[in-house]
Amino acid sequence: MTRLHTALALVAAVLAGAAGAADLASPVASRQPLAFIGAPDLAARIMRGDATLRLFDLRTADAYQQFHIPTAVHAAPADLADVPLEPGTDVVLYGDDRRALTEGVRAMPAERRSRVRVLREGLSEWLGRVHEPRLAADATPEERAEFERAAAMSRFFGGMPLANVPRAEVPAGYWTGTPRSDDLLAAAALQSVATIRRRGC
Amino acid sequence: MTPLTETGWLGAAGALAAAPVIGFAFGWFLERGGLGSAPKLAGQFYLTDLTVFKVMFSALLTAMLGAFWLDRLGVLQLDLVYLPETFALPQAVGGALFGVGFLVAGLCPGTSCVAAATGRRDGLGVIVGMLIGVWLFNAAFVWVEPLYSATPMGSIRLTDLVDIPSGAGVAGVTALALIGFAVAGRIERADR
Repeated sequence: MTRLHTALALVAAVLAGAAGAADLASPVASRQPLAFIGAPDLAARIMRGDATLRLFDLRTADAYQQFHIPTAVHAAPADLADVPLEPGTDVVLYGDDRRALTEGVRAMPAERRSRVRVLREGLSEWLGRVHEPRLAADATPEERAEFERAAAMSRFFGGMPLANVPRAEVPAGYWTGTPRSDDLLAAAALQSVATIRRRGC
Repeated sequence: MTPLTETGWLGAAGALAAAPVIGFAFGWFLERGGLGSAPKLAGQFYLTDLTVFKVMFSALLTAMLGAFWLDRLGVLQLDLVYLPETFALPQAVGGALFGVGFLVAGLCPGTSCVAAATGRRDGLGVIVGMLIGVWLFNAAFVWVEPLYSATPMGSIRLTDLVDIPSGAGVAGVTALALIGFAVAGRIERADR
């Protein structure tokens, strides 16, 4: 081992030791990854009128006016610092990009963050799995059973379940093993909302 | 404040412009590290040349320590950095398949590009094989999909699994790597 290698190993050891000591001395809670909730679970809580649930839409005011999840309140990420919440309240956030969601979680008081969940693929997931679920023409028995559950939720929220559509038109996301980027999610949500508005909902 | 793409400093065009520069630098360092040579890479599996282990773990340590401290110093928002989701079973199967391919070809995807760029025909052969594999995977996706999406675990980190602070995880991985470097050096010396 050359002197340079030894010196680099020492630097790494010092930085790593300091990292361990720094985190033990003052853990950074805000660095925890976002915690998620799926659209069907969120829908179930809204349907049973869960009083401990507060839902916030962190998109623009215009986007919120166009379409939002029932019971959601519009808010800017920074506003969440001042929202009065009862103890034991579960907060769910959704938005267009991870930056707003991360800022929203960070804006919450530290002791609240463990009760904050993010709707992982935002409005796109809500539309695809709850508001307008689709069943492929070549669906498997498992997919049919899931569709029946989703269709009941869709009708509750005034949506429109669609059966026997081509496989390519069935929404995909992390729940089918194909998570999408923020840009794709925002585009998919906008397209879906535009379709709903054209139908006159 | 970074990451530049997530905080709006670098738009889509800027990201596209930065990608080839970063890619060129990555390839250059791989080549200069000797990782464009299949016999050298295959030496990893026979414990005669542990360059791959040392280069990869050096890169891992540099990135890990850099990301941790830049986050701590407020330069990087680490929670905005994309964390890929874990699918335990398909990734374990894919890892085993990758290892077999690595051993048979002597090259991995990145190093095959580096090898091809320096005129090595074995690198070009691996790239062609890789593209055929991509095409086969797409053609067979309907059958592969149940495995592909099995055992989803979300975006998790090792420190979440064992419930320890990030800094303790950083210290642990660094200690393991430094021990690994020392052991690798002994193995290589003993082989000469």
